[in-house]
Amino acid sequence: MRQRSDAELVTQARCGDREAFGELVRRYQRAAYSVALSVTGKHQDAEDAAQESFMVALQRLDDCRNADRFAGWLLAIVRNRSRNLIRRESLRSGDEIPASASSSGPAPDRMADISALRGRLKEALSTLTEVQREIVLLHDLEGWKHDEISERIGIPSGTVRSHLHFARKALRARLAGWKDHT
Amino acid sequence: MKDNDRVTALEVLDPAHEHPGYWSRFRARILENAAFELARRREAARESVAAILSGWSRSLIPVAAAAALIASIMILNETQQQADPAPRLVLEDMLGGTRNANPLQAGLAAGVQSNTAAFIAFVEEDAR
Repeated sequence: MRQRSDAELVTQARCGDREAFGELVRRYQRAAYSVALSVTGKHQDAEDAAQESFMVALQRLDDCRNADRFAGWLLAIVRNRSRNLIRRESLRSGDEIPASASSSGPAPDRMADISALRGRLKEALSTLTEVQREIVLLHDLEGWKHDEISERIGIPSGTVRSHLHFARKALRARLAGWKDHT
Repeated sequence: MKDNDRVTALEVLDPAHEHPGYWSRFRARILENAAFELARRREAARESVAAILSGWSRSLIPVAAAAALIASIMILNETQQQADPAPRLVLEDMLGGTRNANPLQAGLAAGVQSNTAAFIAFVEEDAR
């Protein structure tokens, strides 16, 4: 079956098509989370901001004039919501990824390892600029290509590469030797 | 750390790293919260279709009535003309009935061509 374009999905979602809106969420939920995480730096806030952003996007879907550029429009909402969230609320202290009650989760010693790595990564990411965090997360976590990032966040492709290069360099420097300690 | 290691390391920031069903739950929660807005949009779309149709019918009915009226008047006229085929008298025909069709020829026939003044007087008299 042919994959529907963003524009088609937006048009159908405007008429209340649940399946079309669900497909848009499926397509961009990880990217929305990555952008929110790059701004808030905390899982719970990133999750809230990403979810709220999808709701705001649905309510304002008629304002999305160029439906082909839905992704960029959505990510701009995510960025604004995340910044507002930081401004509005004092950030929650518990920022851990949901507690590992799930039986499918890693073993406790592995959990401690992951938790330490996560803390280290967050610390390293916090030394980057917001746009560098956003680009490195969209590229390495969400798997978007340079051109996709460029088109969707409205930054020239060369600038995306440059940000990515400096972000990786900074992360490498901050995380150097971490593996040897664990 | 090499790039590949770092990419793997960043994966721990993905909530699905620990909870494989995380994204489907994330999506389900959004759709649950969006149910009201989606229903409102469906309703609005239905209403707008009905509004377009009723808008069309509002403008269409008077136009159709006017067209029917004009058509019936034209048919009545046509019928009347067919029933009474008498030639029509035009005002010019009635006024010009007593005048010479060609005063020049009439003047020439009357033999006034040798006298210019008499000829002009004849033509003027005929015109009156």
